[in-house]
Amino acid sequence: MPSKDVTPSIDQPLAGCRVVERSRSVAAAYAGRLLAAMGARVVMLEPEGGSALRHAPPWLEGSGESALFAYLAVGKRSRVCNPATPQGRELLLAELAQADILIDDTPLRERAGQGLAPEELSGRFPQLVHVSVLPFGASGPKAHWDAEEVNLLHAGGEGYLLPNGLSNEMFPDRPPLKIHGHFCGYQGGASAAMSALAAWWAVPAQGGQYVDVSVQDAALAVGAFALQRLGDGSLEHRASRRFRYGGVFQTQDGYLELLTLEDRQWQGLVELLGRPAWAQDAALADPLERSRRGDELNQHIRAWMAQHRTDDIVRRAQELGVPAAKYRTPEEVVHGEHEAARGLFGQARLPGGGEAQVLVAPFQFRCTLLGRGGAVPALDELTRETDA
Amino acid sequence: MNTPRAPLAGIRIADFTIHAAGPFCTHLLSQLGAECIKIESRTRPDAFRKPHAVYGRMQAATFDQVSANKLSVRLNLKHPEAAALARRLVAISDVAAESFRPGVMKRLGLDFDALREVRPDVVMLSLSSSGQSGPDSHFAGYAPLFGAWGGLGWMTGYRDGPPVEMRHVMDHSAGMHAALATLAALHQRRRTGRGQHVDLAAREVASAMVGDALVQASIGQQPERLGNGDAAMAPHGVYATAQPDRWLTLAVRGEPDWQALQRVLGQSADDARFATPEGRRQHRDALDALVAGWLRGRDADATAQALQAAGVCAHVSWTMQDVADDPHLRARGATTQVSAPDIPPRLAVGAPARFSRTPEVGIRRLTPALGQDEDYVFGELLGLDSAQRADLERREVIL
Repeated sequence: MPSKDVTPSIDQPLAGCRVVERSRSVAAAYAGRLLAAMGARVVMLEPEGGSALRHAPPWLEGSGESALFAYLAVGKRSRVCNPATPQGRELLLAELAQADILIDDTPLRERAGQGLAPEELSGRFPQLVHVSVLPFGASGPKAHWDAEEVNLLHAGGEGYLLPNGLSNEMFPDRPPLKIHGHFCGYQGGASAAMSALAAWWAVPAQGGQYVDVSVQDAALAVGAFALQRLGDGSLEHRASRRFRYGGVFQTQDGYLELLTLEDRQWQGLVELLGRPAWAQDAALADPLERSRRGDELNQHIRAWMAQHRTDDIVRRAQELGVPAAKYRTPEEVVHGEHEAARGLFGQARLPGGGEAQVLVAPFQFRCTLLGRGGAVPALDELTRETDA
Repeated sequence: MNTPRAPLAGIRIADFTIHAAGPFCTHLLSQLGAECIKIESRTRPDAFRKPHAVYGRMQAATFDQVSANKLSVRLNLKHPEAAALARRLVAISDVAAESFRPGVMKRLGLDFDALREVRPDVVMLSLSSSGQSGPDSHFAGYAPLFGAWGGLGWMTGYRDGPPVEMRHVMDHSAGMHAALATLAALHQRRRTGRGQHVDLAAREVASAMVGDALVQASIGQQPERLGNGDAAMAPHGVYATAQPDRWLTLAVRGEPDWQALQRVLGQSADDARFATPEGRRQHRDALDALVAGWLRGRDADATAQALQAAGVCAHVSWTMQDVADDPHLRARGATTQVSAPDIPPRLAVGAPARFSRTPEVGIRRLTPALGQDEDYVFGELLGLDSAQRADLERREVIL
């Protein structure tokens, strides 16, 4: 929808959309980041001293700057604002008067004291979409609980189910394993951004509204299949949740993932393996039989994989229509030919003066390409720019 | 059809998606109020209507989360007349969504250019493993491969172990990002009157999950695989408790949390190495062993409750049964009971968020029978009479 007092200058999907972000969590910051990547003007209102995310790991060698913050903040603007003070409250209200969307992860107990209670904001700004993003949401018996990524991954059910496959076979007695980084925080952020745009869509008919997003809910939503399996009578466990055959394979020089779900893919795999005698068993034409004998199949496949190089296997497999992929390191991804062709990365200027490549967005708009790169804002740079 | 009081009420989606990621995207949009018309056929039914042996499901699913809320019609898209009907359906839809390998929609006469001819402002979503362009765009893949290509699989794992494969969470994460991008394109259409082709590569969603590590790699660093550890927080991890396979997750942010942890557990770390946050990080392995000893004999659930009351981030590693039994998730509508004459009461994942003024977000209908909504879609929306539909069925256009 057209935004207030703003003439879209760039033909980006969200040109003209104005977002105020108060974030101390990855979820809220990622929500703002996704909107910024699509052309929204996102202003972070940071505490004096800056957001804690500015100091969050991992850190860049040399400058010590946060790689996480660089990723989450590129393309946004920064203004210091402490809404617990009269001046800060005035600034907050001035920003919100121009905003379409507020993304806020202030803990519930602090909101009233900072003028961020939803009923107060909806009275002042009836067209505002106010998105609350909290670990367990803003309502329900655990709304006041706090959590970090490791807690949320397990509160959503996926943590208990990891690792599966080869890693679980090798280390069956170890504790469940976390997904790297902030997977649940990113789901919470994507859910918040999606919900924000859905509510913004409804503004002409319904006016603004308050949207309550929970990172736990988002983690559960993407793990919905395990709840579906429970309804079917199967309680999943990391030791048993594995592909009957396929999965992670060690090759001569690395690891790859192989998964054949269709008959034609199985036939391609047999071709890839050189039509070995064991694969000629007529019973294996039945996919149910293949699944029943999955362990036996995997032993054969593992033995073959260990004798070949990853790139050779993947190239031939894809030619044969067999889904196979190399486990690539971050270095391989950032320098990937495919990624370069698609313009996945853009040059970002860091607050300390350095530069780095930053992933633009995990989607493209083929009629109006997204802007790439930009600046990671120094603290309060918007205030300084305005004063100048 | 009834119009729900939901934010996307009035939006219609022609849904050609298959597998998990694309259907989850359109399922989310349908939960938010969009009318979603699922196009399949008897010869190419949705995956949930068939056994899925590699996943260990030896028969069709009785309930399919990502098909809930959707209407179902049959079209044999390999027949030119069926493709023409599909284009008519797109002409009265806001969004066309598909998740075939690149090139399939063009072969069917349903690519973006073809759809723009019948609906100039159409928003088309193409969700694939590697995107619509680039040298790998023809690659086939599923969720574990997205994670492998994107870097997330490599970064996940025990420090001394292999990479770890991502499962359906990776599919559904791609679907959620696709729903977001589709909504952004709808806003762009509202503002400009122009259509858009959204191109989502699921492997790039996996890369987005390691965006910080990619920033590091871009300046020549080698990001470190941390397992259950954290570079800033110690202790941090997943710990055994008194009950077998009942783990407690713990994240201690700083000094107040560390003091609270010792107080709640009735323990004191009388060790100079652990006197400061820096020391605890530096000696995290020894610290982990100490904390593991403190927790080994404790009740997981009671300890999580007590730590949360003291302000420490803790949670039990939940099974799906714990999730299903949780009153908090039920109170929020994040889980919801569903049932139908042929489906005994069971839990499903409900509303993705709570909306104050458009509250009818969530599951409104269950899994559709194949072709169950053709009276509405073919009859009311496309204006085909019963004789025309019978003829199309006879000639296997509707199949």
